[in-house]
Amino acid sequence: MDGLFLIFLSSGLFLGWSLGANDAANIFGTAVGTKMVKFRTAAIISSVFIILGAVFAGSGASQTLNRLGEVNTLAGAFMVALSAAVSVYSMVKSGIPVSTSQAIVGAIVGWNFYAGKPTDYGTLSQIVSTWIICPALSGLIAIGLYFCIRRLIRKSRLHLLRQDSYTRIGLILAGAFGAFALGANNIANVMGVFVDSSPLNSITFSNGFTLNATQLLFLIGGISISVGVATYSHKVINTVGINLMSMTPIIAWIVVISQSLVLFLFASQELQSFLQNSGLPSIPLVPVSSSQAVIGAVIGIGIAKGGHEIHWPLLGRIAVGWITTPLFSGILCFISLFFLENVFNQIVYAD
Amino acid sequence: MFHIKVSLFSHTRELEHKIDQFHDKLLEVAMNFKKAVRIFLNERRSDGYRKISKQIRNIEHEADRLRREIEADLYSQNLIPDLRADVLHLVENVDKVINKFDEVTHDFYIERPDIPEKFHNAFLSLCDLSSDCAENLAIASRAFFRDLSSVRDYSQKVYLIENESDTGSAHLRNAIFDTDLPLANKLQLNLLVREVADIADIAEDCVDELLIFTIKRDI
Repeated sequence: MDGLFLIFLSSGLFLGWSLGANDAANIFGTAVGTKMVKFRTAAIISSVFIILGAVFAGSGASQTLNRLGEVNTLAGAFMVALSAAVSVYSMVKSGIPVSTSQAIVGAIVGWNFYAGKPTDYGTLSQIVSTWIICPALSGLIAIGLYFCIRRLIRKSRLHLLRQDSYTRIGLILAGAFGAFALGANNIANVMGVFVDSSPLNSITFSNGFTLNATQLLFLIGGISISVGVATYSHKVINTVGINLMSMTPIIAWIVVISQSLVLFLFASQELQSFLQNSGLPSIPLVPVSSSQAVIGAVIGIGIAKGGHEIHWPLLGRIAVGWITTPLFSGILCFISLFFLENVFNQIVYAD
Repeated sequence: MFHIKVSLFSHTRELEHKIDQFHDKLLEVAMNFKKAVRIFLNERRSDGYRKISKQIRNIEHEADRLRREIEADLYSQNLIPDLRADVLHLVENVDKVINKFDEVTHDFYIERPDIPEKFHNAFLSLCDLSSDCAENLAIASRAFFRDLSSVRDYSQKVYLIENESDTGSAHLRNAIFDTDLPLANKLQLNLLVREVADIADIAEDCVDELLIFTIKRDI
């Protein structure tokens, strides 16, 4: 692993760090905010499961991004990741619920334009459709879960204290699953663009366990996400916890499970092949936004409760994000690649 | 596995038991109050009344101890963080009803009111209504922890009985002031009637809050 590779990889690591800092709040925000789970426990569980998800289930979504555009030089990959990171940062500053996935897609298309490579519009439309399907599906799952759990609670007549204990365990398990799904689905955003240009080789441990080059890259990305969780997510988690205080821990559990299921559905190669083998319509493996899945689930529960608590302007802001994030990221990437190539004399694409 | 499960829930099971015991105290005090009033009307401040009055005092002390332990356990074990304040409030409200039973029983003991026989039935009926109110509050409050759908049913019963108790106390006070008893005696009886009716009023206030807590508890 040479120094130049690490320098170029830094933009991806930064993107990973910011993803960890922001998205851990989607998994454990309410649980920590309502003091059902300690931050330390949440951070350790998230870190471990994000890395596991990234290394062992992260390749599916990454392949879809590669179909969209094979960023084939390190300098190009660096700028794609950096543009996405800067876009995410700017959107967060302007208060738009931001998606790292949308930013990276915009940046890859920007690279395609700059490099004169054709963009696979089939893949692009597949990805764009998931931006709408993801929150909608998350909302539908949340509605279903809400009615099931409410019925279960009313039927079971569990004591409040026992219910509290089960909810606590449920939040930890859901958080672990959520972290795994986040790692599996979103590692493509962080490291996907480096897959084609990575100089890493597979390594075999003394016990015969092997990590291939992509898994090794994803391990590094997973660690960067975990560092983001450990170092900065506390602040975001506190904000989410306070903002969503009206959510009960059980609702929080439903939101986390819905979001995690959606992320998992869009990342699981096993599920995709199972659906294909069964002759069912398969789910595209695409990195989706955990924040928007959370918003979808919250809106779903709002609808299930009668629709009085839905913050409709938020939907408008998400729609704004669907357009502005990839557009901003794509234009930024295009301009930055020009400077990187002409001012810093870096090869940003190979023919 | 079994051991893990047992240790995981042992604390909550203990606390569940304490909460149940606490509600039992309200039922016990209400039942003893009914007995105490009957003894007083028949025997005035007899040994029997002194004994039952002491029993009620002990129940009140026990309830106080349980309330403190429930509060301490909820905080020290960081349980039900989202509903802890509501549960503490509920427990304190129920404790107020228990305290009121003890206070009224003690008032009878100290003041030794002279209750004319023609008011005995009305007085007993008012005391029974207040006790019934408290008993239904105990069931509603216990249901808050296990069976939300029953809370509304028993709360409704509290409202209905409290309404009856209000009407009963108004009639009794009217009847008291219509007699030729000395004014001091009338005022003393009036105050005692109001004290007994207050038990039902406090139970009603508890139920008001309990219904709000129930809405918050339902997902």
